[in-house]
Amino acid sequence: MSPPLLRDFVRGFRAVIPLWLGLVPFSLAYAVTARSAGLGVLDTQLMSALVFAGGAQFSAAGLFAAGASGVEIVLTTLLLNVRHVLYGLSLSQRLPLAPAEKLVAAHFLTDEAYGVALADPRPSFGYLLGAELSVFVPWNLFTLAGSLMGQGLPDPARLGVDFVFPLAFLVLLVPMLRGAVEAGVAVLSGSLAFGLSQVLPGGVALLIAGVVGSLVGALCTTDRPKDQNPAEPEAT
Amino acid sequence: MSALPIILGMAAVTYATRIAGLWLRASVPPFWKRFLRFVPIAVFAALVVPALPGARGEAGVRILAAALAAGVSWRFRKLWLGIAVGMAAYWGLR
Repeated sequence: MSPPLLRDFVRGFRAVIPLWLGLVPFSLAYAVTARSAGLGVLDTQLMSALVFAGGAQFSAAGLFAAGASGVEIVLTTLLLNVRHVLYGLSLSQRLPLAPAEKLVAAHFLTDEAYGVALADPRPSFGYLLGAELSVFVPWNLFTLAGSLMGQGLPDPARLGVDFVFPLAFLVLLVPMLRGAVEAGVAVLSGSLAFGLSQVLPGGVALLIAGVVGSLVGALCTTDRPKDQNPAEPEAT
Repeated sequence: MSALPIILGMAAVTYATRIAGLWLRASVPPFWKRFLRFVPIAVFAALVVPALPGARGEAGVRILAAALAAGVSWRFRKLWLGIAVGMAAYWGLR
């Protein structure tokens, strides 16, 4: 890697490190769930390396345990992950990538990496990849550790480390709320997601709340100059 | 039954969702440009609110800790600092 690419990579990698507090226990919990659903160590690991999507991996483990068909498992995965289309579209507006960079960056795209990369004042391919691998590496290392250690690991919710994720996205969100429309969209999408998540899987609730909130935001800003970007952070 | 074909199917559909948005970089009409600019706000709020109360009857403490973290974020704009303050408040008060 050339020095600027390496420097950005390290910057992105480091920005995600505080989230490891939540990622590590959740990857351990996923591994234990998958192993107790009857998946071998290799299959449990391949899912973390090739699918690499926490919510979908947990739900697949549950579906394997319930004896669901392959088609059901793959379609559930697709439904839970459609939100990545929004992340890709949103990122490609902020951060121009070469075709080869897109092919690589796509595999490692997650909620967390999207959030951290988009909130950076100067995102680059190196920064995005650093943030992405800072999720991928601990997720996979601790999937392996959880597979091998097996039962008896503490429940993340009992430790309270599940709180890291809402906290991180709140900290990323707050500086973006610089006007009434921005605040209104956040309240609307948050309430909608809360209501929908009582009856729908989390990934689907997130997708609907994200689309509805963004549509309302776009409709309420028809008079704004188009170069004004509510997601653009002020200089830090 | 081997799980491998199912895992490969999951990997394929997930990769498709991830590359689709990144790949489509056609010129976007103004309305959809504004739509995309609101995506992070809408998505972050939708990631925060359902996960905020937690499943262990600690909603009050978690909301208080989140409010502190939000204040710190507004003032200092540092991800690690907001997480540190929020987690410290939550663990101190639970």
